[in-house]
Amino acid sequence: MPQVGDLRAKMSSLLEALDKWLCRPITVMEVCGTHTVSIFRSGIRTMLPEGVRLLSGPGCPVCVTDQAEVDAMVRLAKRPGVVLATYGDMVRVPGSCGSLAEARASGAEVAVVSSAIQALALAGSIQDKEIVFAGIGFETTAPATAVLLREARSKNVKNLSVLSLHKLVPPVLRLLASDPMLNIDGFLLPGHVSTIIGTAPYAFLAEEYGKACAVAGFEPLDIMSGIVEIARQICEGRPAVRRLYGRVVRHEGNVKAQELLEEVFRPASVRWRGIGLVEASGLVLADDYSDFDAYSRFGITLEEVSPPAGCRCGDVLAGRITPPECPLFGRSCTPQFPVGPCMVSSEGSCSAYYRYSSKGVSPWGA
Amino acid sequence: MGRLSLGHGSGGRLTNDLIKEIASTFARGSGMLEFEDCALLPGGWGVTIDGFTVSPLSFPGGDIGKLAICGSVNDLAVRGVRPLWLAMSLLAEEGLDEEELLVYMRSAASVCAELGVQLVAGDTKVLPRGEADRLYITTCAMGKNEAISPWGIKEVSPGDAIIVSGPVGRHGAVIASLRYDIKLRELESDCAPLWPLIEPLTRLRDVHAARDCTRGGLGTVLCEWAEGANVGIEIDEEAIPADGDVSAVSDILGFDPLYLACEGTAVFAVASERAETVLETLCSHPIGRSAAVIGKATDAHPGLVGLRTAAGGMRVVDMQGGELLPRIC
Amino acid sequence: MCLAVPHRVVKIMDENRALVSTGGVELEVRTDLIEDLQVGDVVLVHAGFVIEKYNEDEGKELESLWEEVMQFASGR
Repeated sequence: MPQVGDLRAKMSSLLEALDKWLCRPITVMEVCGTHTVSIFRSGIRTMLPEGVRLLSGPGCPVCVTDQAEVDAMVRLAKRPGVVLATYGDMVRVPGSCGSLAEARASGAEVAVVSSAIQALALAGSIQDKEIVFAGIGFETTAPATAVLLREARSKNVKNLSVLSLHKLVPPVLRLLASDPMLNIDGFLLPGHVSTIIGTAPYAFLAEEYGKACAVAGFEPLDIMSGIVEIARQICEGRPAVRRLYGRVVRHEGNVKAQELLEEVFRPASVRWRGIGLVEASGLVLADDYSDFDAYSRFGITLEEVSPPAGCRCGDVLAGRITPPECPLFGRSCTPQFPVGPCMVSSEGSCSAYYRYSSKGVSPWGA
Repeated sequence: MGRLSLGHGSGGRLTNDLIKEIASTFARGSGMLEFEDCALLPGGWGVTIDGFTVSPLSFPGGDIGKLAICGSVNDLAVRGVRPLWLAMSLLAEEGLDEEELLVYMRSAASVCAELGVQLVAGDTKVLPRGEADRLYITTCAMGKNEAISPWGIKEVSPGDAIIVSGPVGRHGAVIASLRYDIKLRELESDCAPLWPLIEPLTRLRDVHAARDCTRGGLGTVLCEWAEGANVGIEIDEEAIPADGDVSAVSDILGFDPLYLACEGTAVFAVASERAETVLETLCSHPIGRSAAVIGKATDAHPGLVGLRTAAGGMRVVDMQGGELLPRIC
Repeated sequence: MCLAVPHRVVKIMDENRALVSTGGVELEVRTDLIEDLQVGDVVLVHAGFVIEKYNEDEGKELESLWEEVMQFASGR
């Protein structure tokens, strides 16, 4: 791992290497929302040469939460006798009838947690209410929900249930890789999802679709190294999935976490905002855990809900347009008054463009 | 317009918009309100008012009593006003322990004694259990303007050096740690009165503006300066005094230290030729030891704040958008 | 989508909890997802859970990319 001693000098070296290995213009999709934010915050976009086009992908679990799912959360929170426990990320996402923050302002009980296991403590301390934990996040975060469920069952907790909104990354990558309109040459793959799932689930990207891939960490050096590696693979015509985050990603991933996921969840086809139904891309509670399933406990069904008129989050998430190309961006859709989740999520593309590049017209590019 | 959300109170853009809305209802009667930390009245007097709702009431580095005094007197200090008198209102919840209340009052009194500030008026109300979160304090501080030239947003000019008096985000990081069960070994709130640090600067020319970076943090203040003075501001991430523990808490919760509240850290805009003198003056005071020049105001990109990142790129610093929430994504 | 931070293990509290720290900041975390944790291990923490241990020896692919990048840079 390169020592961070003189970060700016190291970044220059990487840029020189990129210059050498950029044989033609390339389009790289950085899938993970945390990569999107790191890229903006570190100013990497302003340092990249013209020939590298960075597309943000659907790796923002908040952004891809379907409108119907957000509405279900808000409706649950408004139910008397229910406390909705959620990570802070979801609190301001606008649903058809307002966000959790707005529901809270009108009296709904919303508890913000920084760890899933805190929902268990809540259930213990508020015995006369039903605690519903909204499980959002990808494979990095789902294991925590699995631990919560396993412990709730072993302690026979009656007033806790889970609304699983967890989604899986590899299935949506297949959809994106096979989209002829997107023209993606390479993928910067999510470092922490990979910590759980390893690198094998991405092999198809290189083998079946010829995409250049790098599993990268989140420091500026990691990200730039990933982009350099992708450019080089493309230049040398040898697409592969290269593991550049070996310090926490094993090829086989975290087997214990994978086994736990298999015990507690089963895959299901779920709707991703703006992308539609993606096969086997979501996690629902396995039969053994069905008594903790908030969907059945509260009789929740998800109908197809149209996103707000004019909202183009789906196109942004799929990399079809950049945020400034959405007609609502910066006008009726801003971080203070977001129309769609891409603007309110801390990891949303639109939010990142708005905050870090002055609504997409930053004097420094990006 | 809808209901007030927590975002409206968190010091960023939503708060600013709300304040403007409220101010405009008074505009016709009392002249346009300035959006500064304190008001300068005819005769050279300054006055400010602030409400304190911190939870928990006691935290490493201080308590609500200390905060309630520092918050108001600092709002005076950053316009060069020597704090002299204080009026205080207490809203206490039924059931609050009287001895606990006196502990907070002793903290407050201690700061007043240190500064020579006199409590001249007060009011106490007790609300029924459940109608207030233990204790709210509002303080109104008044004093005499001693700055030899005007200090205010409109004075910030292209070329000015931007100087910060110490590591940012300490108070916000401490409160967030308490809220989200992160244990701190050493980190304390920076809650402190700024007048002793700032007083020597009132005798210097070419100090253009000062602010304490409370709600919304340093990032929000710089945005307010850029927009209010119509200047560009460029700062260097490497130059901003940082505290390792604040960075650690921020990393864990997904916060940006630029937006975490400070309660004893100030930012200054001074004419570039004055920067060295101001820096020396600040560094000679215990709470200004780590003061540093972090950037400058410019006539390029007026209204925008740009940050040169540690990696060598550039990004825009926008105002804090709403309630600061921990994130896992 | 995955904010995670490295910490050092300071104390194993029981079979599924540990105290970890970065500098002067300490956090209680769950260790259900990890085996054989020792005091002194550096771990990656996400949403209150240890999701992996740091292993500098496994960083070979990044190291080799860097060697080439540095060779190229010094060759200029």
